[in-house]
Amino acid sequence: MKNEKMADVLEFPTDDNSISIYIHIPFCERKCSYCAFVSFCLSKIDREKYIQALLEEIESFSTVKRVKTIYLGGGTPSLLTKEEIFSIFRKLREKFDIDENAEITIEVNPNSVEEDKLRAYKEVGINRISVGVQSLSNKTLKSIGRLHTKEEVTEKLKLIKKYFDNISADLIIGLSGEKSVTKYAKELIKLNVKHISSYMLEIHENTKLYFEVRDKKYCPLDEIGVTKSYDKLVKFLKKHGFVQYEVSNFSVDGYQSRHNLNYWSYGEYVGFGVSSHSFLNGKRIANSGMLQGYYKREYKEEKITKKMEIEERIMLGLRCYLGVDISILQKLGYDIQKSESYRKFLKEGEIVEDDGKFYLLPKYYKFADYYILNLLP
Amino acid sequence: MKLNNKRNFCIIAHIDHGKSTLADRLIELSGTVSKRDMQSQILDSMDLEREKGITIKLAPTRLIYEYNGQEYELNLIDTPGHVDFTYEVSRSLAACEGALLLVDASQGVEAQTLANTFLALDNNLEIIPIINKIDLPSARIDEVKKEIEELIGLDAENCPCISAKEGINIEDVFKAIIENIPAPSGDENGKLKCLIFDSHYDNFKGAICLIRVFDGKVKKGDKILMMQTKKEFEVTEVGIFVPTTKECEVLKAGDVGYVAGSIKTISDVKVGDTITKADNPISEPLSGYKEVQPVVFCGVFPVDGAKYGELKDALDKLKLNDASLQFSPENSSALGYGFRCGFLGLLHLEIITERLEREFNLDIITTAPSVSYNVYKTNGDCLEISNPSNLPPAVEIARIEEPVVKVNIFTPPNYVGSIMELCQDKRGVYKNMIYLDKHRVELNYQMPLGEIIYDFFDSLKSRTHGYASFDYEFDGFETSDLVRVDILLNGEKCDALSMIVHKDKAYSRGRELAERLKKIIPRQLFEVPIQACIGNKIIARETISAMRKDVLAKCYGGDITRKRKLLEKQKEGKKRMRKIGSVEIPSEAFMSILKLGDDEK
Repeated sequence: MKNEKMADVLEFPTDDNSISIYIHIPFCERKCSYCAFVSFCLSKIDREKYIQALLEEIESFSTVKRVKTIYLGGGTPSLLTKEEIFSIFRKLREKFDIDENAEITIEVNPNSVEEDKLRAYKEVGINRISVGVQSLSNKTLKSIGRLHTKEEVTEKLKLIKKYFDNISADLIIGLSGEKSVTKYAKELIKLNVKHISSYMLEIHENTKLYFEVRDKKYCPLDEIGVTKSYDKLVKFLKKHGFVQYEVSNFSVDGYQSRHNLNYWSYGEYVGFGVSSHSFLNGKRIANSGMLQGYYKREYKEEKITKKMEIEERIMLGLRCYLGVDISILQKLGYDIQKSESYRKFLKEGEIVEDDGKFYLLPKYYKFADYYILNLLP
Repeated sequence: MKLNNKRNFCIIAHIDHGKSTLADRLIELSGTVSKRDMQSQILDSMDLEREKGITIKLAPTRLIYEYNGQEYELNLIDTPGHVDFTYEVSRSLAACEGALLLVDASQGVEAQTLANTFLALDNNLEIIPIINKIDLPSARIDEVKKEIEELIGLDAENCPCISAKEGINIEDVFKAIIENIPAPSGDENGKLKCLIFDSHYDNFKGAICLIRVFDGKVKKGDKILMMQTKKEFEVTEVGIFVPTTKECEVLKAGDVGYVAGSIKTISDVKVGDTITKADNPISEPLSGYKEVQPVVFCGVFPVDGAKYGELKDALDKLKLNDASLQFSPENSSALGYGFRCGFLGLLHLEIITERLEREFNLDIITTAPSVSYNVYKTNGDCLEISNPSNLPPAVEIARIEEPVVKVNIFTPPNYVGSIMELCQDKRGVYKNMIYLDKHRVELNYQMPLGEIIYDFFDSLKSRTHGYASFDYEFDGFETSDLVRVDILLNGEKCDALSMIVHKDKAYSRGRELAERLKKIIPRQLFEVPIQACIGNKIIARETISAMRKDVLAKCYGGDITRKRKLLEKQKEGKKRMRKIGSVEIPSEAFMSILKLGDDEK
């Protein structure tokens, strides 16, 4: 049995001499209740100082490698002013050889999308917009601290469509009272969204939501509800021609996020900004998650051993349609074809082998951790 | 030193009442150990004890103290304060002339102290009550004095009131020891008569006997005879404890110390045995000797099957120091190769398993404890079964005998009803009830040991708020209507979860265990039925519903490290799982039989 999703796999070998860039913009108008990322309300951060530090960090890094994707994440990168966008990209173009077909994404929140900013994005070469929609129920949006409304989403997506074709939207599965998100997906597709990331709600310690749930002030969907909602969405998007290329990511074919695929295919990347991560020369580097630490250029570094690489390759490859390369595992000292679990999963048709790689069938993605755990050496 | 200037004593105390701290102060004040070498709770020799803050047994030590212009030699011998070690306690007490009864000034007399106090009274020991922790704001000295007088019948009027922690009035303790505890009697020119009250193993000296000399003298080169084991040894060293061992020339009547004699195995040294001279023996050994038998058994398996050899080495090493530990190889279809181990009781079991994990760095799985049954087969054979899964099929069994014990419970009268109910429930047979005074009742029951190791102690504690104490002694075997309850997981029998129970309880225990397993076993990709059965008859069924999802939704952003670490943690957890057919069960599940009934509390 051949995995039907394998047909148009984009290949990003690790040694292709190109890298991805991530830039973290930790600005927010207001912190959403579920958010565990490093970000600060605008009143609590000296944005000039931060942008300056960011530019200096970019300046101090050099590589001969070609840049194939850039991703501005946050926080809320759409809070950057036009001038800040220009100065960041001026610096990037000065320092890096950016591929002319590079995928360049910016995350935006609907309420801070403005037409002249969209033009600025276009001008600096941004060609992909990722919109933090999360829900299309005004009640739900309010309950998790989002500042936009359903109407605003519609309006801003129409505006974005004037300038951009490659639009992604985030939807959260498992919010209180939201038994299904397919109706939102339907709306979004109508509004020209080509890519949907749909993450199941995670309740991280010490977030506002964590305390609300603990104190029974917020009641997220239970596991059965979450799974049902996820299953419905998978089915719906498949019917509408979306490829499920990772556990939580769906797109019209050709609109897969090349930036994320680089993470999952063990490609190299460099992260700039507070709390950002890099993977270079077999080392994973984490910038300090504290602003003061970041300004002092503090970071942690971890050398990836063969054992770690085996674990990571299985963990990353099995969750998406890129699969895991059997011969690479072999070179790392792990002959997975001899593993009892592997043979069992193969026999049961849960994983498939094709062209020297193995893949988890998408219908088992929701149990990915189980398979990963059982396939580790 | 003259006999008149010697005192041998022990300390009886409830956990937390400050036994180790008082011992530390006594050592410090007597200058036995220099301040520099003092570490807190110096006599708690095991890490485990120091960490748990409980003292199972202190090392003995000799204190030198000057009082009224004379030097006194005070030997402190400790008593392990737990029912598992009642026999050892009685032997330690037999080595002393007096005991300090240490009572917390805010807690008052606690039930668990009573049994040992009465054991000391039985041994004709002079008992000195001491009230500790008087520095606490909650101290209620006068009330506690009254309690001591009423509950135990001791005069507490002028007893020392101290704070061991703050070092207050410690001199009063020395004074009371010297003035109230009788000096040992004995004839140093008589025939040698020593009591072994403890033993341990030294890598260089071999097994070491901790002894109290009653008559005669013993020195290096003497030929000694162990009267119970009939073994003879030549003494290679005698010495005292300060509290580390210190060689000396001779031990005489009244002394406490040790003898070593190139004794290769600790099983040759039996606690309670009498040592005499091989060429000039006494005619009768000291009374009170008992052969100590393990009463609680459980399977001990390495989490990693490849560590079987390491587990064996570790058990061998522990056995060197602990003659009461027994073990033999065992094979379980669920758990692989391991050992069936025998212990003196549940605390002993807990200590050994913790030491295996801690001192030998082994990850182990233990099965639920069981007792040893005598199984008479229809063909006339008799088997001793301590592992439920070895029980022959019901058709081959003529009858089964289970061990029973005499249980003595001391309790304030208001809990009598509740305790009787509990004993009834544990298949106890009422024997007697004595009102000792208006505050204390003694209840006597005969009870199956299997019910005691199950959860009797915890139930008794919770029903009486810790005020009842209990003590038991072996009382033979009795025929009983017993059956084996097996557990099937997804249709496959899990031998390590089988239990032998009384027929009347099989149904409820089977159901409880199935319910508990349902809580402990994580959901699998498929539905897992849990069935409890007797033979082929299913008596209870629970179902673990299938897992809905098992995926971290987000693998996004560059923080791969965090995700890998999460995965590694899960992998560690998985290592502690055991597979029964296709069902993965966590190692705690095997102990869960013990926890039955907890939910109602």
